[in-house]
Amino acid sequence: MKTDNRLWTLGLAVTAAATLVAGCASGGGGTPGGASGPLVIGASVSLTGDFSDSGKAIQRGYQLWANMVNAKGGILGRQVKLTIVDDASSPTQVVTNYQNLINKDHVDLTFGPFSTLLTIPASQVAKRYGYAFLAPAGGGPAVFQLNLNNFFFVQPAPTIQSGNVFVNYLLSLPADQRPKTAAYAELDDPFSAPLAENIRQKLEAAGVHTVYKQVYPSETMDLSPVMGAIAALHPDLVVGGTQNEDAYDQVKSLVQLKYSPKFMFQSNGANSPLEFPDKVGAANTEGIMAPADWYPGSTAAGSAEFTAAYIKAYGGTAQSVDDSSAEAYAVGQLVSAVAAKTGKIDNATIISTLHSNTWPTLLGNLSWSANGAPAGEFNLVQWQKGTLLLVYPTSIAHARPEAPKPNWGG
Amino acid sequence: MKPRLAVGPLRAIVFFAVLWSLPVFNLAHWAMNMLVFTLMFAVMSSAWNLLGGFAGYPSLGHVAFFGIGAYAEVLWFHHHGITTGYEPFWLLPLIGIGVAVIGLPVAALAMRTRADVFAIVTITLLFVVQTLAYNLRGVTGGAQGAAIAAAPFPAATYERPFYDVLLVLLAVAMGLTWASMRSKVGLSLAAVRADEDKAAGIGVRVQTVKLLAFCVSVGLTGMVGAMWAYYEGFIYPQFAVDPLITVAIVLMTFLGGRATLWGPIIGAFILELAQQYFAYSLGGSQFYLIAYALVFLIVMLVLPRGILPSIQDRIRQRRRRRAVDAT
Amino acid sequence: MPGPRRRSPTGAGDDHVHALIQGVILGVLTAGVYALMASGQTLIFGIMRVVNMAQGAMVILGAYLSYQMFTSLGVDPFLAIPVTTAVMFGVGVGVQLLFLRPLHAEDKSQLSVLVTFAVALLVEGLMSVTWNTTDRGINTGYVNASWTVFGYQITLVRLWAFLLSLAALALLYLVLNRTRFGRAVRASVQNPESARLLGVESERVAAIGYGLGTATAAAAGSVYGMLYPFNPGSHYDLISRLLSIVLLGGLGSIGGAVVGALVISVSSSIVAAAVSPIWSQMTFFVVLLLVLLIRPRGLFGTTVRGAI
Repeated sequence: MKTDNRLWTLGLAVTAAATLVAGCASGGGGTPGGASGPLVIGASVSLTGDFSDSGKAIQRGYQLWANMVNAKGGILGRQVKLTIVDDASSPTQVVTNYQNLINKDHVDLTFGPFSTLLTIPASQVAKRYGYAFLAPAGGGPAVFQLNLNNFFFVQPAPTIQSGNVFVNYLLSLPADQRPKTAAYAELDDPFSAPLAENIRQKLEAAGVHTVYKQVYPSETMDLSPVMGAIAALHPDLVVGGTQNEDAYDQVKSLVQLKYSPKFMFQSNGANSPLEFPDKVGAANTEGIMAPADWYPGSTAAGSAEFTAAYIKAYGGTAQSVDDSSAEAYAVGQLVSAVAAKTGKIDNATIISTLHSNTWPTLLGNLSWSANGAPAGEFNLVQWQKGTLLLVYPTSIAHARPEAPKPNWGG
Repeated sequence: MKPRLAVGPLRAIVFFAVLWSLPVFNLAHWAMNMLVFTLMFAVMSSAWNLLGGFAGYPSLGHVAFFGIGAYAEVLWFHHHGITTGYEPFWLLPLIGIGVAVIGLPVAALAMRTRADVFAIVTITLLFVVQTLAYNLRGVTGGAQGAAIAAAPFPAATYERPFYDVLLVLLAVAMGLTWASMRSKVGLSLAAVRADEDKAAGIGVRVQTVKLLAFCVSVGLTGMVGAMWAYYEGFIYPQFAVDPLITVAIVLMTFLGGRATLWGPIIGAFILELAQQYFAYSLGGSQFYLIAYALVFLIVMLVLPRGILPSIQDRIRQRRRRRAVDAT
Repeated sequence: MPGPRRRSPTGAGDDHVHALIQGVILGVLTAGVYALMASGQTLIFGIMRVVNMAQGAMVILGAYLSYQMFTSLGVDPFLAIPVTTAVMFGVGVGVQLLFLRPLHAEDKSQLSVLVTFAVALLVEGLMSVTWNTTDRGINTGYVNASWTVFGYQITLVRLWAFLLSLAALALLYLVLNRTRFGRAVRASVQNPESARLLGVESERVAAIGYGLGTATAAAAGSVYGMLYPFNPGSHYDLISRLLSIVLLGGLGSIGGAVVGALVISVSSSIVAAAVSPIWSQMTFFVVLLLVLLIRPRGLFGTTVRGAI
């Protein structure tokens, strides 16, 4: 009994002391980098877990920007130092990470994680401590409903509006060439379904009759019932609110069912330059459309420089560059732009400056409303002879849109 | 026996006094944040212990009730406002009771089975609740998730209210455990754990005590879920009902020692602090899952009774040897 | 030019019937794969009284092995099955020896669930590190091929999968009923103590039995990888379905597992076609619930003292 108690008290004392020391040591002391010294930028990125592929692409984008900026002398004379930590795609960990980055490591600026799921809790932590939060991903509607003025979604438009450009394209066609009927197959996640729904509402208002709509859960193993039902109804247009795997599945299913609609749009998956033809067969990609912010061959500000640097650092070709890296790079471009314009680079300046004006990036010109929603539109790309080409808006298109979509197999 | 009785409560008082006073020392936010999560797991492990440790029914689906509590909290505040920021805390007892009541029919059905089949049933329950969270989109928001207004606490002491409430919850959980250990309920649970049929045979109120353990256990877990939802600010089905949380609390209880008072707490502190710290500083990798699994396996194969009972055993052995040597 | 269109033979009302029948066909074809996975699981329970929570993870591991052989060596998954099954048999035996044998009898039923669950997590972690978490699929050249029979679509891959599962189950049947080992297994399932008295080495039977169960998972996995996209986390979905199937059929009964797979697979397919894909997963759970309420030992199970 006596040994029991002594062990106990000792254990308790040690734990308490340790926590106190650890807590106090970083509690009061430690000042941020200050006006000189390296510019420390912290980001929690999904290096492991479900979002790890895109997370790693984002890390590459951030790193690429930092290296390029440092080679040219840094930001306002300060070398950029990135502190990137892994959140294992977990919202609990992402909160802890930004807490640590902001309050323990005292980073100067914060960049965003991947995915709406993580962006929401993370941006709230940043808001609490007055940090600007530039997010390359995570543009689901819930994010903007939070009305955080420190939040900037670095893409041309909120994700669920990325289909607007497709609607605009359809409506630009003469009435007899537009699709009369449409079917919608939507993945149940924070953006795919809302995105497809957005398209549906706009098209219904324009007179395109919805013959079928189905939302399927993300662990759906088999899309053939859904695609079979669609095929039986022969719609002119098939809209897929998809991520990657289900996009491939939808196409494969339609090929197996031997049904080829006149128009086909997929919100994701179809815009992967390498994966999509690999998974569905290169000949089957012809004519399928998708939204894109950055795409290989883009001529937006800084794109060529980015592509060249990416290939030099990571190999591959322009076709294999992940657009998540481009989005991350754009985040960095904004920081450089704010510094160049104002001569300052603290959080308050970033927040106030970005809310006015339009900013050129490799994703196009970006500007935001008060809640961080970007005010632009995406681009429409289409597969033509095995390559993704920008087909709409016409003013910046690289090719004419192909309609109707040819039969499977080219 | 007498000296022991006095020491027990004293230990608890010291423990809580230390924890309570920690924030006063102006602990850094990140440390408070880690403690908040640690306390959450301590409460949940303690609660799980009532069912999995004392009653001998290892539930693998506790996180289903965590999720129910989380959604209950969020959905309530879709229709009511948060002004002082303390309303979500006042709602907790209601949620605890609500979840316990929901648990009643579930328990009645699930506890018709034993041990491994019980584990199957509880795991299935987990998936059912997760699927419902996804599918009942009109209610829960489905895959789009659901938001709760951010707490209007000042940034400097943001974590403090959460921390304090969790301490209260922990005290409640430990209090209930301690009370049951000292009462007929505890004896009945021990009998059920050892051999349920014989216990029923000699007149132990087996069904009542099983249901009681289940409902109290899930009620507490639901309350932690509600707290978590408020702390995160936004919940999604796959995180509100995440199998890994169940794994964590089972592991923590096993590590510390099932059917003991302090075991789950020790397990929670060791594991959660370690996990949060390593995930952050080692830059994590998928190795964390492997590490979890390995720790789990090692604990179960090498230290199946957990740290606390093993230490107590060793101390007892040494004392016995000393007594024998002395003669 | 739009492609050739399949016309429904009669009017719109028959579209529902058509969809339903297509659902039944799909359900039957898929049942083969599930039956194979579930039979391994129920076999393990029968021999060792262990609920193998790692069965789903083993299926996925089998899928990854096939995937790897396909992408690096170009071996067709069907042809890779003998290799993957052999490898996974070894893995299964290893797991049993390392993690299950050391468990002491008193805690065994409680701990075995947790231990196998931990093994599942370990396998998931290893798979994530090796192949990371992107969805994968085994896309052989013939993966899009399909036949249309009386207006119903039958995908070639699914048909092969079904036939293969039948063949594997037949093989399992032969092993269990025509070999000495099989007799030992059946004896252990029926009455472990008597079996031991009669000279059956229960330890060896246990190890080989677990290996066999894992091997069937691997065979199913190769096929699974061709039908569906998978990632390391897919085992959760699988295990929840397998548990329902095994409980419906009755723990320990392989015939029960086959029947259970058929019943559940067809039901969930019908629900997906007639109601909505969102609720098809629930079918598994609803069936489980009904089993527990009405007949806890399942269709063909025996009452095992201490388990139910």
